[in-house]
Formats: sequence, structure tokens, C-alpha cells
Amino acid sequence: MAYNWNWGVFLQPTATGDDSTYLDWMFHGLQMTIGLSLSAWLIALLLGAVVGVLRTVPNRWLSGVATAYVEFFRNIPLLVQLFLWYFVMPELLPENLGNAFKQTNPIVQQFLSSMICLALFTSARVAEQVRSGINSLPPGQKNAGLALGFTLSQTYRHVMLPMAVRLIVPPLTSEFLNIFKNSAVCSTIGLLELAAQGRQLVDYTAQPYESFIAVTVAYLLLNVVVMSGMRWVEAHVRVPGYIGGK
Amino acid sequence: MISMNKVSKHYGSFQVLADCTTQVQKGEVIVVCGPSGSGKSTLIKCVNGLEPFQSGEIIVNGVSVGDPKTNLSKLRSTVGMVFQNFELFPHMRIIDNLAIAQVKVLGRNPEQAREKGFKLLDRVGLRVQAEKYPGQLSGGQQQRVAIARALSMDPICMLFDEPTSALDPEMINEVLDVMTELAQEGMTMMCVTHEMGFARRVAHRVIFMDQGRIVEDDSKEAFFGNPRSERAQQFLAKILHH
Repeated sequence: MAYNWNWGVFLQPTATGDDSTYLDWMFHGLQMTIGLSLSAWLIALLLGAVVGVLRTVPNRWLSGVATAYVEFFRNIPLLVQLFLWYFVMPELLPENLGNAFKQTNPIVQQFLSSMICLALFTSARVAEQVRSGINSLPPGQKNAGLALGFTLSQTYRHVMLPMAVRLIVPPLTSEFLNIFKNSAVCSTIGLLELAAQGRQLVDYTAQPYESFIAVTVAYLLLNVVVMSGMRWVEAHVRVPGYIGGK
Repeated sequence: MISMNKVSKHYGSFQVLADCTTQVQKGEVIVVCGPSGSGKSTLIKCVNGLEPFQSGEIIVNGVSVGDPKTNLSKLRSTVGMVFQNFELFPHMRIIDNLAIAQVKVLGRNPEQAREKGFKLLDRVGLRVQAEKYPGQLSGGQQQRVAIARALSMDPICMLFDEPTSALDPEMINEVLDVMTELAQEGMTMMCVTHEMGFARRVAHRVIFMDQGRIVEDDSKEAFFGNPRSERAQQFLAKILHH
């Protein structure tokens, strides 16, 4: 196989005529991936915490609604959800709102749909982690909080959640890593994130090996950073004398 | 102080408590004993509403526990409770375990709450452990902290749910000593325990339960001297002979 390796391709000016190089494209893609994943992760954490807590409260209606939410977002393929948010949702909105959405900058449309999609999909998974964290606490902890005169919400706030969150840092790390990887799906609706930029680079330069090796390395580095960050968090919140503590 | 009238509770067709009636006067120390599964723990948890019950009435300091209009959190803040497994909050330092409910429930200022916490730790002999975490203390020490935590709320009575059952034998006495001291100071106490020595020393009355019923409710002299029911006689024979 005669393949012309050319790592210098990244420094060449792009064929679009402006000043940017192909490396700039990669950076833009990386920025988009990071911006999208982080914003979706924040929403997923907040929403997942709320839904996860609701699944454990002693109220059949609330926990039922939360369970339905989790099962809905967990059991539809991510790609299908993305298409629903991007192609179907604008049609279901009230007409003026739907039109307003369709008239905004296409990049904003793609970004918003992708962010909501990733956030809700991941929130269902975070909710399951939160629920399992709460359920794995000794049952006496809740009683101890209530017996001191805490209300149920104070008991969650001061007694159960602080420990539950510590217990689920490792599984949350996987979800955090997943959201970066899942964000690549958003290239299917035209969002120019890292994977899409990689493909675009192939179209323009016919150097697929260099392009996808660069994309691969970028994802790996990104997740190494996330993983070390979460390790730090894990060590930081460790409870002395408790299982896994020092 | 505490009065129970025909309290019953069942899970489906299984009767956990059946027509339990008893009173605890101010300053009285009651020991509740009986074989496992007899409903002792459930009974004591009904007193502060941690366990709901289907019929009957419990009045604590003039407030009905079963009444849906009762502010249970407020009632619970006046009733101290100590659990079999200590249930300290593992993510908080010992002193914070003692201060948090004072601040969040009673609205005391954090400085006063810590101050009071230190005094109570002094009292149970654990002042030096104030800055440690529960997991760094022995079982006996944790249980003494748990008692101090309950006392930090200035309770009008204390409930003990098998406070020494999860402890190594060596550590039982340090906890019983704290409880004995408390009883001698006139605290109203309801203790589920198998420590018959403790019952003999400090209890005023002993309640014996079997299969969800209060079988015997007597002064300790009568209970240890000559229990009326055959079931209580068997029980005592079994636990006192070794």
C-alpha cells in the first residue's frame, strides 16, 4: 500500500481561503466537543441528582414520575433521541417558538439540540447512580437524621446526600467520560465537533490516517484530563476512617 | 411523659404490635426486653414516629404522635434517640455531629452549639476526639458520642434501641456507665436492652414483650423476683444462666 504520510498537513492553510490551518479546525472541533460536553454534563448532574433523589422518596407519585423519566431516556438509542430533538421537537413546539428556533443560527440550533439531548440522556444515567448511592447507605442513617428533628429534606441535604455522592464518584467518572465520547454522535446532525472536523479534514486533504490519529489522541488526552480531575475529587472528598478512606 | 394506649401495627396480616398499653412517668427508667422479633424495637420507634402504627394512640409530652397534624420533626427534636449501630454521620467530625442539629433544627448559633458539644463530649470523656471522624473511633466511643449527640438537643426523654448489642463485650460497660449516670440524674428513659444487670441496677420498671404483646409490665423487683408469665420465666432462665 502506497500511502503518503504527511504530518505537515495540519499546518497547511485550509482550502476555504481564510487564514486558518487544518490544525485550527481541529482546535475548533475540540473546543466544540468540550463546550458541548461540559454544558450537557452540568445539566445532567443537576437534573440527575433531582430525579435520582425523587426515585427514593416515600411518595408513590413522585417516585413513579422519576422512574418513568429514567426508563424513557435510558431505553431509547442516543442517536434516535438526537434526531427527535433536532428534527421532530421544533415541529412539536408552538408554531411561533418553533419558527423562532428554525430561524436562529444553524450552529446554535445544532448546539442546543445536542446539548439537551446529551444532558437528558446522561441525566437518566446519573439519576440511577444517585439512587443506588442513596439506597446503599445504611438504613439507620435516615432514621438518625429524622430522630434529631431534621425534616426529610434536611435529612437528604445534611445526612444522606453527602455520603451518597461520595460513594458514587467512581461510577460518575465513567458517566463523565461517556458524555465526551457520546458527543461524537452529534456530528450526525452537522455539528462540527471533534469527530466531524476529523472527517471534514479527510474530505479536504485525503490524509485519513493523520486526521483520525489526531482525533483519537485528542479524545484520549481529553479523557485522561477528566480522569485525573475525578481522581483528585475522589481523594479530596474521602472520609477518614470510612471504607476506602485513609 | 409517654403514654401508649392500645397501639397496634401490622404488615399485611403479620401483627407486629398488638394492643400495647403502657405509661412512662417523668424521671422513670423503663427497660424493654423480650426475645428477638417480639416488637421491642418497633415499639420504641413508634414513640417518636419513626415507625407508623395503624391504631391506638401515643402521647408524648401532651402531643399525639399518630395525629397527622402533629409536626413530627418538632416532636422528634425533643426526644433523644440512640441506635444499635450508632448512626453517627460519617462525613462529619465528631464535634460537627454534635452541633449540626442544634444549628439546623433548634436555630442555635454555631459557636454556642459547638460550645455545648464540647461540654457534652467532656461529659462522656471524649473531648480529645472532637476533631476526629466517626470511623476513627471505636464502637464504644462512637456510641458515647451518639448519646452526647442526642443530649445536645436537650431532650425531655431518651429512647435507647439496643445501644450495646453491636459492641464488643469490652466496650459495653463504658456505654452502660454513661446511661447509668444519665438515669441517676433523673432523665426519663426507655431502653430496649438485653443487659439485665443494667436493668437491675437502674430500671424502675421492666416491660417484657413477646409476639408483639406486652406480656409483663412490672416493677423490676416483681419482674426479677417472680415474673407472672411462663414466657418471661423461660426468657429470664435462658439469659440469666450464663
